[in-house]
Amino acid sequence: MSSTDSRRDGVNRRNLLKGGAGAALLAGLGSATPAKAAGKKVVIGGFVDGALVPFKDKIIPLAQQQGFDIQFLQDQYGVTLEKFFNDAQSGAGQYDLYLLDDPWVPQFGAAEVLEDLGAAGIDGADKDWVRPMVDMGYWPPQTGPRVRGFETATPKLICVPFIGDIQTFTYRNDVYKNGAPKTWDEVLELGKAGVSSGAIKYPVVFDGVSGNPIVTSWHPLLLSFGGDFFDDKWNVIFNSDVGKASADFLVTTLKQNAPPGVVEYDSNEVGASMLRGDSGATIQYTGNALVSDDPSQSKEVGKLDFSVVPKKEKAIAQIGIFIAGVPKTGPNKANAIEFLKWFVTPEIQAKLSAAGAIPVKRTAFTVPPAGNRLIPVTLAQFDAGAMPRPRTPDWAKIEELVGIQLNKALQAGSGGGAALDVAAGQIKDYLTQAGYYK
Amino acid sequence: MTEATRGAAPISDKRSATRSAGRERRQGAGLDLFLPYLLLAPAVLTVFGVLVYPLWNGIQASTKLYRYGKAVSDIGLDNYRRLWSDPEFLNSLWVTLRFVTISVAIETVLGFALALFCAKEFSGIRLLRAVLIVPMVVTPVVVAIVFRLIYANDTGMLTALSEALGGGQVDILSDPVKAFVGLIALDVWEWTPLIFLILLAGLQSLPQEPFEAAQVDGAGAWRTFIDLTVPMMRPVLAVAIVLRTIDAFGTFDQVFVLTRGGPGTSTKLISLYGYEVAFKFQQTGYAAALFVTVGLLILALALAAVRLLRRVEAT
Repeated sequence: MSSTDSRRDGVNRRNLLKGGAGAALLAGLGSATPAKAAGKKVVIGGFVDGALVPFKDKIIPLAQQQGFDIQFLQDQYGVTLEKFFNDAQSGAGQYDLYLLDDPWVPQFGAAEVLEDLGAAGIDGADKDWVRPMVDMGYWPPQTGPRVRGFETATPKLICVPFIGDIQTFTYRNDVYKNGAPKTWDEVLELGKAGVSSGAIKYPVVFDGVSGNPIVTSWHPLLLSFGGDFFDDKWNVIFNSDVGKASADFLVTTLKQNAPPGVVEYDSNEVGASMLRGDSGATIQYTGNALVSDDPSQSKEVGKLDFSVVPKKEKAIAQIGIFIAGVPKTGPNKANAIEFLKWFVTPEIQAKLSAAGAIPVKRTAFTVPPAGNRLIPVTLAQFDAGAMPRPRTPDWAKIEELVGIQLNKALQAGSGGGAALDVAAGQIKDYLTQAGYYK
Repeated sequence: MTEATRGAAPISDKRSATRSAGRERRQGAGLDLFLPYLLLAPAVLTVFGVLVYPLWNGIQASTKLYRYGKAVSDIGLDNYRRLWSDPEFLNSLWVTLRFVTISVAIETVLGFALALFCAKEFSGIRLLRAVLIVPMVVTPVVVAIVFRLIYANDTGMLTALSEALGGGQVDILSDPVKAFVGLIALDVWEWTPLIFLILLAGLQSLPQEPFEAAQVDGAGAWRTFIDLTVPMMRPVLAVAIVLRTIDAFGTFDQVFVLTRGGPGTSTKLISLYGYEVAFKFQQTGYAAALFVTVGLLILALALAAVRLLRRVEAT
């Protein structure tokens, strides 16, 4: 039948009755099928990141076999926080499950817009969790300073780790022939030799864009140099002598050994620089590292290895896991909680690991075969030293203020310490006005 | 029937007619009274729902202190006072004023030149006019992505071109001045066609007699342009500039994609800063105060421009 014929048939009473009878028959047949095929709808929101690809490709089909009707909606990282927070606050109910970046948890916790997953039956005390990961799901935090208004509140598990992620060191094994460099001095010395031999163009590469990207580059340096952001009373201490030394190291020494346009480099450009073979080493999250052995994306297949980050005083990396929260206004929140309970079972975590993503339960790290050689390195980094970003709902503002000053210093190629002094003053003013020191 | 006969009609008939006419008048008066309001109601309600209520709500929010997304106290005009001691607000306001002034000025000059050129009739002119307005119809986000690909210092088109000619990498987005110039270049590329289109319409509607008279009097092209075209085009120019200025104040998509306000804060326009304050930092009250202030500034600019336009028309 041509399209013209079908139009001629059109909508008439007889066709409607026929259609209605058909629909009724289908509905009847549907009710006879098992309950799991009926579809327990869960709308999951996340941001675009390579670390989520194994979940999307391998775990969602498994969940669907289990009877979950999963809709996975992804946005760019830069707009996800505001979108989720607005959804949770306005009660729009667009999502049943948020995949958050871990520093966003305090903001959602303070606004009290997420379900208590501990009360819903998820055991945060389970010894199988990677401890630093599950600690980030509690609000207020179980340890460390607390913001005003939450000093005496009982910590609740409002989020559960979903995909593990932490910064690790990626390096070229044809430049660092004796294995991973242990210190920053080794990184630069051998990297320069690699440039001289023509193997690479630049010893290192890092995120330099203002705001979150450059702070993500600097934070592990601050920690490695022995510094920290705040003391236990939210006093700014990142502009201590070691803090300033770490900032100067980034904006001067590392910049001199990085691609000339590093000021405008975000994680995409950093990943591309490594995969193109331009740069010899970087600290990065797993999203880019996971594709190192994919010949369709990497020109350096087999030449990129991973290790714990180099140290100055310590070898500490920044945690940046994907962590799941269920909004109180989610239309299918019971399904979302059921899905989470299923997702964190040892069986599914092992499948996640086999698919190449970083699991969140310890047993899954040891299940052979891990789908990616980066997976054991991430566990080693968690055990060697892993720190979250400060647990405050005002982190986005703090990160912005530090990031702007560091980016200006990076652009100038000097003045890292002075930049930190300016940022420290601005943050102190901001926190004072926000009532942190009353 | 004569007037006299009509005047002598029975009194009962007269009363009945008067009653009937009065009823009609009352019915008519009722309709006259309510029908216009009834017809206007959907539009008024829509305007109230999408304009007046949000505006009022925003003004109310601007007098409150928000913490973690919730209003915690009334603070009067404190948010407005805080703006003028906030270096980030002052910086982004200054960046925006520079951006608007420079880009609108360039767009006006280029748009006028193109309009003068395209006002003439010659072979292929219709195609040229159509091509010239293409940038304006491309989605701003797409334009920004394309310009990012052009400017990127490692794999960008400018770097590729420079390297092909024996030069090095071209750093645009990593230098504060160049990034600002790059943002203006994007805006000029995209929005010159709007000015061009308005001015072309203006040029084509000008009366031809003064130009013919000037030609007969032997006036040159430059003299005709200065003494005739520019004065006659002033009202149209003013409209084009006011429209574009108001629009340029709201530029967001391009800068969000191209530079995110960096490097440092060199391209952080007020719209981007306001967005961050409202949605990233969740300072709803402060953001409301910021946008009310910027709205009033734009309103003041627009009123000044309209007053200028009236004065020009009067002279």
